[in-house]
Amino acid sequence: MLPASLDEAVDALAATPAAVPVAGATDLMEAVNAGRLRPAALVGLGRITELRGWRYEDGGTAVLGAGLTHARMDRPDFAALIPALADAARTAGPPQVRNVGTLGGNIVTAAPAGDTLPVLTALEASVTLARAGASREVPVSHLLTGLDPVRPGELLTWVRVPLLHAPQVFLKATGRSGPARATASVALVLDPARRAVRCAVGAVAPVPLRPLEAEAWVAGCIDWDGSREIDPAATAAFGEYVAAACVPDSYGAEGAWEAVTEGPSAAAVRLRRTVSVLARRALGRALK
Amino acid sequence: MTSPTDIGAALQQDGGEGGAPEPFGLGSSPLRSDALPKALGIYPYAADLWAEGLLWGAVLRSPHPHARIRGIDTSAALALPGVHAVVTAADLPPGPDGGPDGAPAGPIVADRPVLAAGVVRHHGEPIAAVAADHPDTARLAVGLIAVDYEPLEAVTDPEQAFTAPALHPDGNLFRHLPLRTGDPDAVGEIVVEGLYQVGRQDPAPLGAEAGLAVPRPDGGVELHLSSTDPHGDRDRTAACLGLEPDRVRLVVTGVPGATTDREDISFQVTLALLALRTGRPVKMTLTREESFQTHTSRHPALLRYRHHADAEGTLVKVEAQILLDGGAYADVSAEALAAATAFSVGPYVCPNVFVDAWAVRTNNPPAGRMRGEGALQACFAYESQLDQLAARLGVDPVEIRRRNAMATGDPMPTGQAVTCPAPVGALLEAVAAEPLPALPVDDPDAEWLLPGGPGGAGDPAAVRRGIGYAVGMVHMLGAEGEDEVSTATVRVSGDHATVICAAVDSGQGFATLARQIVQTVLGVSEVYIAPADSDQSIAGPSARGRHTWVSGGAVERAALMVRHQLLQPIAANFGMSVELLQIADGKITSYDGVLGMPVAEALEGKELWATAQCRPHPTEPLDESGQGDAFVSIAFCAMRAVVDVDIELGAVRVVEMTVAQDVGRALNPRQIEDRIEAGVAQGVGLALLEDLRTEGGVLQNPSLTGYRLPTALDTPEVRIAALLEERDVVATFGAKAVSAVPAVVAPAAVAAAVRAATGLPVGRLPIRPEDAVAV
Ligand SMILES: Cc1cc2nc3c(=O)[nH]c(=O)nc-3n(C[C@H](O)[C@H](O)[C@H](O)COP(=O)(O)OP(=O)(O)OC[C@H]3O[C@@H](n4cnc5c(N)ncnc54)[C@H](O)[C@@H]3O)c2cc1C
Repeated sequence: MLPASLDEAVDALAATPAAVPVAGATDLMEAVNAGRLRPAALVGLGRITELRGWRYEDGGTAVLGAGLTHARMDRPDFAALIPALADAARTAGPPQVRNVGTLGGNIVTAAPAGDTLPVLTALEASVTLARAGASREVPVSHLLTGLDPVRPGELLTWVRVPLLHAPQVFLKATGRSGPARATASVALVLDPARRAVRCAVGAVAPVPLRPLEAEAWVAGCIDWDGSREIDPAATAAFGEYVAAACVPDSYGAEGAWEAVTEGPSAAAVRLRRTVSVLARRALGRALK
Repeated sequence: MTSPTDIGAALQQDGGEGGAPEPFGLGSSPLRSDALPKALGIYPYAADLWAEGLLWGAVLRSPHPHARIRGIDTSAALALPGVHAVVTAADLPPGPDGGPDGAPAGPIVADRPVLAAGVVRHHGEPIAAVAADHPDTARLAVGLIAVDYEPLEAVTDPEQAFTAPALHPDGNLFRHLPLRTGDPDAVGEIVVEGLYQVGRQDPAPLGAEAGLAVPRPDGGVELHLSSTDPHGDRDRTAACLGLEPDRVRLVVTGVPGATTDREDISFQVTLALLALRTGRPVKMTLTREESFQTHTSRHPALLRYRHHADAEGTLVKVEAQILLDGGAYADVSAEALAAATAFSVGPYVCPNVFVDAWAVRTNNPPAGRMRGEGALQACFAYESQLDQLAARLGVDPVEIRRRNAMATGDPMPTGQAVTCPAPVGALLEAVAAEPLPALPVDDPDAEWLLPGGPGGAGDPAAVRRGIGYAVGMVHMLGAEGEDEVSTATVRVSGDHATVICAAVDSGQGFATLARQIVQTVLGVSEVYIAPADSDQSIAGPSARGRHTWVSGGAVERAALMVRHQLLQPIAANFGMSVELLQIADGKITSYDGVLGMPVAEALEGKELWATAQCRPHPTEPLDESGQGDAFVSIAFCAMRAVVDVDIELGAVRVVEMTVAQDVGRALNPRQIEDRIEAGVAQGVGLALLEDLRTEGGVLQNPSLTGYRLPTALDTPEVRIAALLEERDVVATFGAKAVSAVPAVVAPAAVAAAVRAATGLPVGRLPIRPEDAVAV
């Protein structure tokens, strides 16, 4: 099924509850090829042009269509709007994948290494889930943690992102030069109006993690009224703080659920080092 | 890098439409004939084959690395509508004791069953196969085969293989090769020691295994496969099926990537068996996961070294212990071990060498042939040792190598004198003399240059540049007494020639070379290369760089015989000797210019045929102290790697590789450069990315997402400093094989550069980010 409008799409889903929506199919086809998914029917979202762009709301919010491709989000006009999301889109796989892979697909797949997810988490974005005749607004974090998941027959239509008009950064470690999934990623955004720093760490846990205490602490170290300078020692300490908050001692150790008494595992030490470097560099770039 | 317009222009030129005339003969660089169809996507591979009424095959594989099979129940699979046959070891000819033994096969030792009989020894080992009228039905039926396994303890640490219970009736030791030469008590003033480890690299061919089997009316079978050894594969298939070899015909289809061997024997025998059983053509295409499970990978290795040197850094003694993990079956482990042992010191002179090397059986995936098998692992270790020695002495790494470099005539530790050119010193000079690439500038526009890739987390302040050198060697052709021979037929009629030779062009460019040879000898520009199949005379496998020499030699001889037949009557007519005539541009001319006759006219409508063989001089096995003239010839290569390392994140980017290679004679410079680039890419992959991981014998990343192949962004600029042309007088055209040695040397060079950038020892390949963090 190839509906040409949102209404047609939600009607199609309502009429065929077993149907699965498909956008760029970069995740979906992988599951089909591996035999993990045999969709009874597909609802293609590619023709719904309204979902492929964005609009503004109440002056301070951008409403992004779920059908925005990574390639589109990487263009300068979008990058000027939400720089961290553009950064994430730029690194989300090889060009062939970014040309068709979408924001909505990235969110619904909710892979631990999904690159847009820490950015949306740091931005405290929310999504609109639509079904025939009704729609609801859910914070991205609730969706990702499973607190409020996508229900059968629902379509992710819009992503609401606050426009902060301040530096924001997404950094990703992959261990190679070519396109790859993140081994760890950090999204960091400044919110000068609220004098806040918001940060999310991706790929180290099933969902992006927010180091709330580290955020609050570092916000207090920044000279918000002046040139937004910060003591380099505070930047380094922020990195360590974030890493310690997001990577548990037991990371990667056998029986990870049990308390590890001998201190952090070797894997935890390595991952913390990576997260700490990413967080330090992200803050450094945001305040440069 | 080549831009799309360059490629377009090159292709147009090859098409010859209005462009410059096509380069011609040896020493020129004509474009390969398969380049255009491959670029256009119309080149046929085995997965594109089709036959009327074909069935689809699928294989059941073991989920366990080691288990006893107590029973197999195929009834549910057979009952599934659309299923035509289900086969197990019981359907293959029985073993010596009358019971099923899975018809074991192998390139050296026949120890790997086609279908597991009684026991499985590695994750993914084939147990049963199905033919059905739809691929989905075949896979569904595979899922319905019930196997009663009794899981056994898996031996996955090669060091445990010595004491573990035998995993196979042949035992756990494939080969122990001691090498002893000189004075065991010699000591040097300086001693450096190291432990080196190499992971499991997979050939990961672009196209997974695929083939089509068609039953023949005479009870035999025709196999369409991307084989790189049509006769060997035919003979082994026939033996496993209990057929006469001439009842099996193997037709070679387009090879979608092969570094040496392609389809494993189990795949093709199973395919043939299904066709024979059902009387219908059967097609089978493996999934990427199965492909990783079934074909052989590079031998993981553990190497322990101790180098003794005098105060000047001249080598006094080398002691080494080398352990290769051969996985579940023997394959070519014995041969890889011989290379690792014989080249354990590298292209250096050392009077006292004591090595013990073992290749053992484990429940890990089977290892086999991959460019420079054995030689590569040793190169990483001895070059790391030389770096340590240089560091200890405070000597430049190039200088330490120069001081010890081998030259023509020097003895190897095996006692064999290197009689071929060994321009090790000159190769080193060539790479060291090349200008270095510019340093990364602290400029946001150049961000893509940083380790971590475009849009990555790289920070110029944390980037350190490292420069490393490595030299290495690898033998060409079969070693240790293997009979090396190839046969070719050349035919001339009208204005064109045809080459019939079963040497498979696996992408290495043999077809292009054969064309160039005939062009040079016979002066005809249009040369057709017949597709390879096993009904032609034997040419042997596409491996160990042998076809340029052995099959190229056979083509040259056959062409010379045709030339003689063509010129003899003319020479007699004019009362001059054949030597005074020459052929060029399709014309026969005499030395004095009096005669000028088109080839087509000289032929008088006749067809001239000749068949010739090439068989290089024989070699001998290494004896019980690792001594013997085991190799026909050896190729050398030097590289300089330049890397940038983000020392906080451990991300490494190889900026440039500078290569000087001993090629004997450059028969097709462009193809040589292509081969060097391919070897560098594969070597960089092994050095930084590629590792087929196992956990308790179970593959962890059998996919192209999990198994990280180098992309264009991971592959460095390759700068060719020199293709040294010192003829190898015994080789065909004086040319040396070019493909393996760059892959052998590149990992060692990258490791040396990372060592230089980080100051860390770097004893393990691939180098993981955590191995390159230096803060
Ligand atoms: C080679 C390769 C490399 C990749 N590298 C990366 C990477 O580096 N980083 C990264 O983050 N991702 C990567 N991906 C994953 C993938 O490309 C992204 O997750 C992409 O954003 C998915 O979008 P899509 O439009 O292709 O989703 P699809 O495959 O079309 O859909 C994915 C899932 O989302 C559902 N869905 C899609 N749109 C909607 C909607 N509007 N409403 C409700 N449900 C919907 C589908 O039903 C399906 O379950 C890679 C993929 C490949 C194949």
